[in-house]
Amino acid sequence: MADILDILDIEQPTAEISRDSILHGDKVKKKYVTAKAVKRPEGMHREVFALLYNDNKDLPPLLPTDTGKAYKQTKAKLGMRKVRKWTWAPFTNPARKDNAVFHHWKRVSDEAKDYPFAQFNKQVTIPSYSESEYNQYLKSEDWSQAETDHLIDLCQRFDLRFIVIHDRWDRAAFRDRSVEDLKERYYGICATLSKVKTNPWSNTVTMVNGEKRIYHYDAEHEKKRKEQLRRLFDRTQEQIDEEQMLLTELKKIEARKRERERKTQDLQKLISRADSGNLPATTQVNNNNEGTSTPSNNASNIARRHDRKLHKKKLTAQQRPIRTVESVTVEWSGIKFPEARGTGVWLRSQRMKLPPGVGQRKTKAIEQELRLMNIDIAPTPTEAICKHFNELRSDLALALDLKNALASCEFELQALRHQYEALNPGKTLTIPPSICNSVADGESKPVGEIIDVVGSPSALNTTI
Amino acid sequence: MSGPNGMLYGGDEIGALVFDPGHHSLRVGYAQEDTPKADIPAVVGVGPATHVPEPEEKVPDGNVTQSGTKAGNELRHYIDVTELHVPRTGMEVHTYMKDGQVDNWDLFEKMLDYCYAKVIRSPSEHHPALFTEAVWTTRPAREKLAELLFEKYQAPAFFLVKSAVLAAFANGKSTALVVDAGASQTSAVPVIDGYALVNAAVRSPVGGDHLAAQAKHMLTNMHIQMLPIYSIQSKEVIRERERGRYTLKTLPAGLTHSWQQYMLRRQYEDFCHCVAQVSESPYEERQAAAAPMSHYEFPGGYHQDFGPERFKLTECLFEQTLGAPHLACAAAAGCDADARPALWGSVVACGGVANSPGWLDRLAKELAARAPSSHRLKSHAAPSPTERRFAAWIGGSILASIGSFQQMWISSQEYDEGGKGQLERKCP
Repeated sequence: MADILDILDIEQPTAEISRDSILHGDKVKKKYVTAKAVKRPEGMHREVFALLYNDNKDLPPLLPTDTGKAYKQTKAKLGMRKVRKWTWAPFTNPARKDNAVFHHWKRVSDEAKDYPFAQFNKQVTIPSYSESEYNQYLKSEDWSQAETDHLIDLCQRFDLRFIVIHDRWDRAAFRDRSVEDLKERYYGICATLSKVKTNPWSNTVTMVNGEKRIYHYDAEHEKKRKEQLRRLFDRTQEQIDEEQMLLTELKKIEARKRERERKTQDLQKLISRADSGNLPATTQVNNNNEGTSTPSNNASNIARRHDRKLHKKKLTAQQRPIRTVESVTVEWSGIKFPEARGTGVWLRSQRMKLPPGVGQRKTKAIEQELRLMNIDIAPTPTEAICKHFNELRSDLALALDLKNALASCEFELQALRHQYEALNPGKTLTIPPSICNSVADGESKPVGEIIDVVGSPSALNTTI
Repeated sequence: MSGPNGMLYGGDEIGALVFDPGHHSLRVGYAQEDTPKADIPAVVGVGPATHVPEPEEKVPDGNVTQSGTKAGNELRHYIDVTELHVPRTGMEVHTYMKDGQVDNWDLFEKMLDYCYAKVIRSPSEHHPALFTEAVWTTRPAREKLAELLFEKYQAPAFFLVKSAVLAAFANGKSTALVVDAGASQTSAVPVIDGYALVNAAVRSPVGGDHLAAQAKHMLTNMHIQMLPIYSIQSKEVIRERERGRYTLKTLPAGLTHSWQQYMLRRQYEDFCHCVAQVSESPYEERQAAAAPMSHYEFPGGYHQDFGPERFKLTECLFEQTLGAPHLACAAAAGCDADARPALWGSVVACGGVANSPGWLDRLAKELAARAPSSHRLKSHAAPSPTERRFAAWIGGSILASIGSFQQMWISSQEYDEGGKGQLERKCP
């Protein structure tokens, strides 16, 4: 209430008790009198007016003011240290083998140090072999020794950048080879040498649990991969467009297929619902006629099936004389009403809205039930009513689920009984009344009717 | 060089020089600077010394290099615009470049003499020299250059780098597809990890010179006379498209054809700079007519607005099989499939022609249409025109001042021991 008064700028009743008044009860509240006193003249911009007349009626400062001593106190301390001298001095670079002397500027104090950039001189270790080693281990029908030497030399020069090595390959002296050939040869040499020699090369041999693992290069696989890559890159625009077109077509076809499936499913649901709607009634009849009419019942079912020509598999599974007991699954959940809405103002009646997860059918069943109990479908949403109404509907939903489950169990039971009687003619199976509900309990009849009215969810439970 | 916390940063400057010889000009300057000290036209004027009347050129400060006698006649060499652009009797203009590499070594020597004496003004023995070269430079040319530097100029160290690699470095890349639109030719060179792929490089003879020739052709067809600017004494202010009124200067007799052609070419280049623009999509009369006009005044005083011609002129740079986009595609196609995504991901454009307004946009657009759609395409170019033009020089400047590069120089000791044969090994 206070908020509204504030917004509408109505003077608050002085005796009102609020948190503030309790905390600072004796302080007199300041009132904004001045702001009210001056009215903004017509046509004056709000910003300009705010400059002239703000809340505390201070004039805006004429001079830029300087507050705080932030930068006044910290003084830059220049020239406190002695100047360190620089000299144009000769230096040698340990990374060079020739001890060439260049000159650069450096601090006099750094005189004794090594050339700092020499630490970046990193080399790849490339295996080496002697003539006899080559003849003993590395002989290859495809590669001559000169060619192998050239490869190793290039590997050293270009630090194993095989694409560059391939580019600089001496095509005049040796035949052109692919990158994969070069790699295969190189890694082959590494593998062979690391087997026979004691010192392994760091880049191709790794030690795993004290056991040598040699890098194996799969040239065939690499070639295939390259070929695929090449094909991918070399596609013409038409090919890409065609592929795109085919993909969209495929998507369309799949969408149509899904649509069809959805429709057949819907249709099947309808059929099975109709079937299960009839079946309990016939079984009830069969119950009295001691199984004599079972064949005709089946026959009529088959006839119906032929008429509808739909989902034979499912229906035959249902009509098959020996049927397995299907477990009946029911969600014993009731309805969960979401607790917190989003921020902001909301109507309390929102809380009574059924969550979107509750299906149309269930909603209708609940409404039907409420009507039977003479309860308003949309009562006035006070706090208490909201809570209780929601609880009631949740319980109702649960009760409906349970009833459905019961009905389907009943149906199962009856069906099994008929099966038993059909297989053992002349014998009757008496179901003990403790588990047989519908015969003994006349009260459940209306429930069945209600379920039929709302489209019998039990059918869903048993067939789908 | 090294920070207080022991971290290494920055480079190490050892007073190296960077030379970037091109067809249009030679760039020279100190490494670690952001622009070359001098950008000298890549031509040398050669004239008989006896015919030079001005006495002030005899002063040692003058920009003239004295050369030895040749068949009894003393020859003088005129280098750089202040000397070269003066009308002189019998002065022939020669270029020392041919096909992207130095061809006339005598003239190139004169050029280097001039650089050391007048630009650097410091003895060559003090400065390691880094030279750029075209990707297709032949082995004899490279060895000749090394020989020249070590034996004549006594350089303490020497190094040769492919200009495409340096252009990539200047753009902060070690792997790039470098599209260099230069004066004499346009080339596309793939660079992987700082190594140019020589066999995948492609080039076409379409460049800035071709554009200037097209401009000349176009103006001739439009019956507009490009008078040489040195021949105009004075001109009057006239209205647009009115016939120019000017008085001619009295010129010394015996101006050579090569010099006149050279001067005129400069003027056509200027015309291209001012007027030419690359349209975003292939030339279309209607679209080009809608673009704003560009005004140009010729040396004779004649002036007019150029409209669609501006766009029509540059279409020759984007011919089907000779244009930069086609070259870039061909170069990328020549590379290993594994390298291609990285190359398409960083296309670097550089060179003087790349400065033409709209050139870069057109290249990017055409590449997007041609490049395989599975690649991420990204083209880079330095934002400022100077950085684009001098990309290779700037890359050399960066490289020669990196601390870890200092071990790569071929020192004079190494040259004395190993000879020029090691050039192929040391400068890949």
